[in-house]
Amino acid sequence: MSDRSENRVDRIVSDLLRGRRLRLRGGDADEKEAITAAARLVAAGQGVQRMHPAFRKRMAQALETAPNGGWLTRRAALVAGLGIATGVAAGGLMGRAMEPNPSSYIRAARQVSPANGRWVDVGALADFIDGQGKRVTAGAIGAFLFRRGDTVNAVSSICSDLPCELQWNGGTHVLDCPCHPASFTPAGAPTNKAYPLPSLDLVSVRVTDAGRVEVLGT
Amino acid sequence: MTTGPGRSQSEARGDEGAGEILELPAASSSTAIALDELELVYAFIYARVGNRPDAEDLTQQVAMKAIPRLRPGAPASAIRGYLFATARSVLGAFWSTRLGLSESELNEDLAMAVPPGPPSEESAERARRVLESLSDNYRRVLTLRFLHGYSLKEVAAEMRSTVGAVKVMQLRALRAAAKVRLDE
Repeated sequence: MSDRSENRVDRIVSDLLRGRRLRLRGGDADEKEAITAAARLVAAGQGVQRMHPAFRKRMAQALETAPNGGWLTRRAALVAGLGIATGVAAGGLMGRAMEPNPSSYIRAARQVSPANGRWVDVGALADFIDGQGKRVTAGAIGAFLFRRGDTVNAVSSICSDLPCELQWNGGTHVLDCPCHPASFTPAGAPTNKAYPLPSLDLVSVRVTDAGRVEVLGT
Repeated sequence: MTTGPGRSQSEARGDEGAGEILELPAASSSTAIALDELELVYAFIYARVGNRPDAEDLTQQVAMKAIPRLRPGAPASAIRGYLFATARSVLGAFWSTRLGLSESELNEDLAMAVPPGPPSEESAERARRVLESLSDNYRRVLTLRFLHGYSLKEVAAEMRSTVGAVKVMQLRALRAAAKVRLDE
């Protein structure tokens, strides 16, 4: 037991005491009680916490632009209404069964259509490795391109949630957002269905007869 | 109950029954009210994850999931109820994802009641009661480490022990703390 458990738990405790996020691994589940107790004790030692002013400001900006009801389907509204009744009346457990189906309100991908756009050469098709993302720029447009044989698709290189440049993770084959735990498939869909981020915007791309890849940029 | 300027007390429209979308006061007053409520959510989440980066991410997820379903005009109690229901769901998903557990194994975190008012010292009081119920050695190691911020080496010196032994004691004390059931 303990040799490893005590070291693992102490690493987590040390991280928490330094204000770092919880970095857990599968094996840590054996010590879930100890870990959650540690998290609560660290929090208790710091007293009641309020949002950092910068975070509060970001939240305010996000709320001001929130699409109130804009993504809602009738079904999502219905489930939300049931969730409210449960949360207010019982104040009790609300599991995933009460959650709306994310696919019902994930915003569909939008096509980036720059005004006075022009096709910008970003390289030869042969320069793109099949299945691997490659970041290109076409004027003001940043995009990740993915080659599949003779075809190429392109998605915006900006996270759909926070204004951060995505990074291609060749190991997991997803685009990771460096600003928060979000990632997207090469097609632009969010990978975590539990937290329905909008899909990435789509960028127009084409392969010319000469085997050149062009992106509709500015 | 937190109230903001211009808050509407009107109830959600009754003509849509259970399918009603929650309502928020219009424009910027709804933002101010939502922010006040999210402060409670943030404190609730922080008390359970113990660090700012995760608390911010999770609070943002709560807002992202809940706010699009709110509309101008809802009573604040309903807004709070829905935000905390969402917070419990997000916390459950957080722990189950990080630890690879089903949410049914995390009932304690999910079943917390909706806080009735502003953030309080409830979690500090709870921690104090948990520590009081532990044996002297366990209480001491956790108090020094978590409440006084001692390093393992400092705890070992204070307790006239070794770092290795303190590390083991810390783990056992945390397990014991997790087993304490308080009458709440």
